[in-house]
Amino acid sequence: MASGALDGGLRPLQIAMKLANAAVELEAGERHKEAYCEYLRSINYISQTLLEDAVSKPDGEMVTMEVERMLRLAEQCLERVKSYAGRRSDIASSSLLWPRLPPRPQRRRAEKGGDVAPKTSPRPAPGHRRVLSDGSPVGDGVAAPFLPPEIFHKLQEAESYDAKKELTPIEEASRLNQKLKATYEARLARLPPGQATQKTSLTLSLQRQMMENLIIAKARQDALHRKMEERRLRLQEEANRRFAGSGLITPEEQEQRLLYANVLEYEQDHDWPKLWKAKMKKDPGDAALVAGLIAYLLSCPDHPVMKLLKRLQYRIYNRLYPISETSFDGVSRDLNANEEDPAPASEAPPSPRPRDGSFEDLERYLATPDLSPAPGPAPGPDDDARLLSLEERALREHLRTIVKDVHNAVDRLLSLCLLSFECLNTASAKDVCLASIEEAFFAPLWRPLLALFRKVHRDREQAFEAGVRLYRDAAPGDVGVAPKLFPSDPAALQGSYPYEAAVLELQQLSRDTCPQKKLECIVRTLRLICVCAEEYRTLQDPDAPPSTAAIGADDLLPILSFVALRSALPQLVSECAALEEFIHEGYLIGEEGYCLTSMQSALSYVESLGGGAPHR
Amino acid sequence: MAAGGAGGGNKTYSFKVVLLGEGCVGKTSLVLRYCENKFNDKHITTLQASFLTKKLNIAGRRVNLAIWDTAGQERFHALGPIYYRDSNGAILVYDITDEDSFQKVKNWVKELRKMLGNEICLCIVGNKIDLEKERHVSVQEAEEYAESVGAKHYHTSAKLNKGIEELFLDLCKRMMETAQADEKAKGNGASQSGAARRGVQIVDDEPQAATVAGGGCCSSG
Repeated sequence: MASGALDGGLRPLQIAMKLANAAVELEAGERHKEAYCEYLRSINYISQTLLEDAVSKPDGEMVTMEVERMLRLAEQCLERVKSYAGRRSDIASSSLLWPRLPPRPQRRRAEKGGDVAPKTSPRPAPGHRRVLSDGSPVGDGVAAPFLPPEIFHKLQEAESYDAKKELTPIEEASRLNQKLKATYEARLARLPPGQATQKTSLTLSLQRQMMENLIIAKARQDALHRKMEERRLRLQEEANRRFAGSGLITPEEQEQRLLYANVLEYEQDHDWPKLWKAKMKKDPGDAALVAGLIAYLLSCPDHPVMKLLKRLQYRIYNRLYPISETSFDGVSRDLNANEEDPAPASEAPPSPRPRDGSFEDLERYLATPDLSPAPGPAPGPDDDARLLSLEERALREHLRTIVKDVHNAVDRLLSLCLLSFECLNTASAKDVCLASIEEAFFAPLWRPLLALFRKVHRDREQAFEAGVRLYRDAAPGDVGVAPKLFPSDPAALQGSYPYEAAVLELQQLSRDTCPQKKLECIVRTLRLICVCAEEYRTLQDPDAPPSTAAIGADDLLPILSFVALRSALPQLVSECAALEEFIHEGYLIGEEGYCLTSMQSALSYVESLGGGAPHR
Repeated sequence: MAAGGAGGGNKTYSFKVVLLGEGCVGKTSLVLRYCENKFNDKHITTLQASFLTKKLNIAGRRVNLAIWDTAGQERFHALGPIYYRDSNGAILVYDITDEDSFQKVKNWVKELRKMLGNEICLCIVGNKIDLEKERHVSVQEAEEYAESVGAKHYHTSAKLNKGIEELFLDLCKRMMETAQADEKAKGNGASQSGAARRGVQIVDDEPQAATVAGGGCCSSG
């Protein structure tokens, strides 16, 4: 950084980087057109600077290093521009569902090239996370539509795109041949006209060379293939030996063997697993090391664990999609955001459903009568009811299978993870492992999962909404909070309302996409309630000893109901129902379980205020 | 965190105990008394008296108790079952000066037996014995009732700190016995007990519960 070859404030490289960085930021902010222009501007600037420099200065004045970096930057910008140009036509022809450019590996490369990208994370930010995770109605209120499975899949692949991938021999040869051809064309152009023999000889020699290259490459590739195949078989045998024992093997065992062979293969190609295992061996009890290893594993898209994760995610997404896509998600809304619109929200335009859905039977049921009246003769009320109950049954059934699939998937991931790293097979490391796997696994799935839960629990959510409509402005006392537990004079709170801190915390629940994190949010909400309660009580009776007045469930539940009412988020009903399915039993006995149970109880009470029947 | 259920071998037992009782019977003070008595205030968790934990050492085995308070108000009862599912024990508190609160206990017993069968250890607790003069529930009636439903009966006073330690100790021992019997019955499946009991198990009305409903109570009002 010491070479100030070009004077005047900022060096051109810095300016170029600034420009490129601005473009990257625009792109991250989804401002595609502006990003596109900014990238072009960067390229423009770079070529202009280089041109001026080359013309005005004698040779060698500009440090070669800088030129190289400038050029690399320009190249990266050009790549983005190209991908935009490609994208544009795609978007125009296919759909608008995909609001974001796919892979952004250039961020990583740009970093190497010249510190353009923010240095926070060395791995590419998982794009789909951002797209799918902000279903928060608290945030922007607009739920993005769900991506068709194919695009979901592409995204996953883009995420695992490895910039450093080596070329195969054939690819290498074809590159070489292209260069040869270019040289040949250049030479040909320099030939004086009429030199037919020389031209023919050049052409022949080119053809010969190209052919040779290809033949050699083909042979190398075959040899490589054979070697890989041999290795694969050897590793598969090794894997089989490890699981030897039982005579008959189930398909699951078969799969596990295959996966384990993949792990062995991966470990031949990569050193890091060995290094981490050695580190773990030295210091087996180190919790930071465990976390580090798991984080590293999750950042390696080519590792069999991650590949399995992607595959299972995709499978579940694919099964969720036909249903969630007609989601009720964009329909029932945050009550806070729609104060002036009391109409029951159910007329969101149904988005087009793909014809190739894997659940045709369900699709038929889900040509939902609530969204679009069935064509043909109007069904009688009986038919309607029957159809509805059929639909409901099918949905519930589907939900059940999906929940089972999710549990199954997480189990499989955990067991492969422990198989790959036996050092993680201790109680505490396993917990960390499971938590991390779940976090990664649920991130893109929670929103569509929730949409399904919301469909199934629609009645309950509507009852909740009705309860909120009736009691939104109720004072704590109206829902049974003991007088000593809220300030009798509202002015004492200076513009806020009682238990506001807890309400605000609870409203954050939808932000997270992982069950464990959501559960923590509920725990924080209840703790805040206790803190507020304590505060209000001492406000009224400063002399009472703290322990005698500690609140029990008799006090807690009315307050929690009040907080739930004020949060005005009907989807809490479905979120909690989903949490109950996905939280591990181990947690259900402790504080977390208690908080979730209390929350459900309070929600159920709010539903009953709105005329909902008890659902259990 | 906690591995649910009771572990085998030398592992720690984790028990869940639900606390049931009408609004003013003093169940909160009871459990606060228990948890603050031996230990200091910091053992009151951040959820105050709603959810308390206590670590014990009984006969060389470590026991972790998670005590779940439940709301006494009728309007929160719709979700009762999710509170007491997977419970190892239940403490049903009534106020000896309040006949009504004793009737409520009977309702809960019926429901618990219906949902959890005989696996749950029941304690029926007459609280406020410091107000003996105003007693409205006869000792004999209460004890007979408890016996008829396979529960144990205790008398306590949260105010005077009487009978509470015994109540919990006794309950823990019974839960340990149940867990051990469970382990034996299941062979090596002890570690699975948490998973196996996931969800609410519904059994038919116990014959004893039925007889109780028929002729257990003597006075009404």
